[in-house]
Amino acid sequence: MPAVQETIDQVRQIDVDQYKYGFETLIEMDVAPKGLNEDIIRLISTKKGEPEWMLNWRLEAFERWKTMESPDWARVDYPPIDYQDIHYYAAPKSMSGPASLDEVDPEILRTYEKLGIPLKEQEILAGVRKADEPSQLDDDSGTPPAEGGYGNRVAVDAVFDSVSVATTFKKELQKAGVIFMPISEAIREHPELVKKYLGSVVPASDNFFATLNSAVFTDGSFVYVPKGVRCPMELSTYFRINERNTGQFERTLIIADEGSYVSYLEGCTAPQRDENQLHAAVVELIALDDAEIKYSTVQNWYPGDKDGKGGIYNFVTKRGDCRGKNSRISWTQVETGSAITWKYPSCILRGDNSRGEFYSIAVSNGRQQIDSGTKMLHLGKNTTSRIISKGISAGNSNNTYRGQVMANRKAVNARNFTQCDSLLIGNDCGAHTVPYIEAKNATAQFEHEATTSKISDDQLFYCMQRGIPEEEAVALIVNGFVKDVIQQLPMEFAVEAQKLIGISLEGSVG
Amino acid sequence: MSVTELRPRTPAETALVNLAEAAGADEDARRSAIEALRREGLPHRRVEAWHYTDLRALMGRRLGKDQAIEAIAAKEAGSTESVLAPLVAGSTVVDLDRSEAASAPTGVSISASDDLADWHETPNHLDRPVDTIRVVNAAFGARIAKIAVAEGTEFASPIEMRSGIGAQSHAGCSVEVGNGAKATFVERIEGGGSPAPSSGVSYLTVGDGAEVLWIIDQAKDSGAAHLGQLNVTVGADATFKLFLLNSGGGLVRYEIHAVTAGEGSEIRLRGVNLLENDQHLDVTTTLRHTYPNTTATETFRNVVTGGHGVFQGMIKVAREAQKTDAKMACNTLLLSQDGDFSAKPELEIFADDVQCGHGATAGEINADHLFYLMSRGIPAPQAKALLVKAFVDEVVEELETEDAIAEALVAKIDAWLERSH
Repeated sequence: MPAVQETIDQVRQIDVDQYKYGFETLIEMDVAPKGLNEDIIRLISTKKGEPEWMLNWRLEAFERWKTMESPDWARVDYPPIDYQDIHYYAAPKSMSGPASLDEVDPEILRTYEKLGIPLKEQEILAGVRKADEPSQLDDDSGTPPAEGGYGNRVAVDAVFDSVSVATTFKKELQKAGVIFMPISEAIREHPELVKKYLGSVVPASDNFFATLNSAVFTDGSFVYVPKGVRCPMELSTYFRINERNTGQFERTLIIADEGSYVSYLEGCTAPQRDENQLHAAVVELIALDDAEIKYSTVQNWYPGDKDGKGGIYNFVTKRGDCRGKNSRISWTQVETGSAITWKYPSCILRGDNSRGEFYSIAVSNGRQQIDSGTKMLHLGKNTTSRIISKGISAGNSNNTYRGQVMANRKAVNARNFTQCDSLLIGNDCGAHTVPYIEAKNATAQFEHEATTSKISDDQLFYCMQRGIPEEEAVALIVNGFVKDVIQQLPMEFAVEAQKLIGISLEGSVG
Repeated sequence: MSVTELRPRTPAETALVNLAEAAGADEDARRSAIEALRREGLPHRRVEAWHYTDLRALMGRRLGKDQAIEAIAAKEAGSTESVLAPLVAGSTVVDLDRSEAASAPTGVSISASDDLADWHETPNHLDRPVDTIRVVNAAFGARIAKIAVAEGTEFASPIEMRSGIGAQSHAGCSVEVGNGAKATFVERIEGGGSPAPSSGVSYLTVGDGAEVLWIIDQAKDSGAAHLGQLNVTVGADATFKLFLLNSGGGLVRYEIHAVTAGEGSEIRLRGVNLLENDQHLDVTTTLRHTYPNTTATETFRNVVTGGHGVFQGMIKVAREAQKTDAKMACNTLLLSQDGDFSAKPELEIFADDVQCGHGATAGEINADHLFYLMSRGIPAPQAKALLVKAFVDEVVEELETEDAIAEALVAKIDAWLERSH
């Protein structure tokens, strides 16, 4: 069945020529010379005021990277990247590191406002502060929040090219014991935590892009949620590439200690330019016993124009480690941007009874190429995982789901359910599915399904019994758990994500 | 890509090249295949099409040690031929390893050809610089036997093609089934205990409106290695049915590549893989839909009591192949902790008005089903056996074939189940 008109219209609204965030902020920047060598790495390390061990870690990764080859197994096609033709460090000149929002260049704050990330107005939006009240960001003492007041707020770390320009609600998070700060600061202030966990999920030698990131990463977020703490608000990082010819290499590290909970959201945009820009990030999540991490991404890097000119190359390594028993990691992604997406948020289900989830909506348009999916590696007993992936391709794009589900010999009673549907709009695009299913344990139960009737017969029956047609019921259920996360996104994001969520499942192919 | 770079060959790769040369390499076609084998070596796990069957490593275990090539060659030559009854009584038996032509039913011509197998033959379904199975087949000097079924001919009893019975062999055949004809073929792959692989490459053209059933019965000795490939072109409104039964062999890879050559064609692939001990069985299929309104269904059922099973299935739908209806399923019963199974069911779709789907499951016997049978007084071992039998017999039923053929297949499956329980 071909796609319905409603879906076509909705996809059209986010087509590549409708990119809203393509403006450029003109601001004085401190830019390192082009090229990649030991001196540049030393420069980055010095700019960040890093200790010796961090520099050595970077240099080791760089040595390793020089021996590696860029991977070619993904269904993406791009000319070879000249790694010497990129600036590896770019920072707004007006500041060395933000102490408070007041020090941030107003030009940058305006940029974030345009993007729908008003750093100051956040608080007002969330309804905890009236416009005429002093911002908690400005005032150290801060009034304690009203009961339940934490609920709707989002703490934001804004990363502009290579530096973090602002982190909101830092003080309040500190009261709860949550550490939320740029990773460059964490390296200085919490070296014991960083040393212990950095590279423990994605080793410096993991893959070509992760190793490059390990050598040159500039900023990103660091989160530590202590034992038994439920993080009082959503944490969020907003990435913006602004400078020409720069690569953005951010590194995020999130640790949820025993029994804790944290929900984290990232968003990304970039100006509209003719040349391709590189973005190679690494995200590591660690969930200890009974901890839960929810990680959501709204990826909207500049996708290039309709002829495939420009756009971001998005080569990202994201991996979560359910290290403790009963831990839980959930990845949700809404992928609409980037010229090329190469991204496989994965879960290592090491702890007994741990659970991994992956929910993805990937929409490709124009000449975009998406090769994305997940890995669920079942190592512990009674581990469960769920994969729901919806790919929508339009224009001349190619959209590939690539996923691996593996149950180790010791993963007794491992359970996986995978559903990946794709939808094509028009006759010049492609949709591809490449699942790898590896069962090494007789008690493992794997289901990889394209049929929509298998989601949950009970839920489906419940809906249909109340007169909702099957297809609507399926849409309702699938959207149900995606919405769960999306509704918690900042307002501007949510509006955009909702457009995607409304897309009919009609005409899906498996 | 680093695949084409010259790198030191492993002992197994060298041994294989030497074996091929020892068997004679006078003809140009063989020489070029041996060169390709020498240049490219054997595929390994980083070669996507061979990800789960690391032939370089697996062959290394068979040929890698200090085994002298003479010893391997001597072992092959020393094997004795056994008498084998045809799978279905009344079949016409063609021995592909012999050069003399067999007597054929009316409307069918069978000629042993002296043409050497050509590894350059297009299309190359796995998108690799060399197609390993065809290269090995040609390097060892396989010759192509020719079978032609005239237009409109219908015959009931199958044509059974044998290769490698009792000896290590490399065979090839090219089968043309004329428009509107109806025929059944059985490919028997048996015997052979050599560490070096035997191979077989077949080409089948199904004419417009024709109907072909092709049965592959692979039951080699547990120590044997075999590389098989079937390339099929299915004409307009033609039906191609295939049944693959893997119940033997130590290291086996069978590739089935089908492509449509007209509107309205139907492809039905069914298969049962029975695994035990330390077997390595790989079934790799590609279906290319290049015309509108074609259908394909593909079902493979695997029973694993040991060893390593692999299923790779690819469905490709071209832009012009609108209204394609393709379904693929791979279901695995894991009956023991000693075995594993890896599946990679792929879809590559460029047309927007199609119905394609794939499902893959892996797990043990459903506890509820077992309980149901046991609560009715059937002891656990019998109840299990019954459920396993039902799981695989279903695939034979779906083939909708004549009773004699279905019975022969079920009998083979039963014999294996009996043996392995």
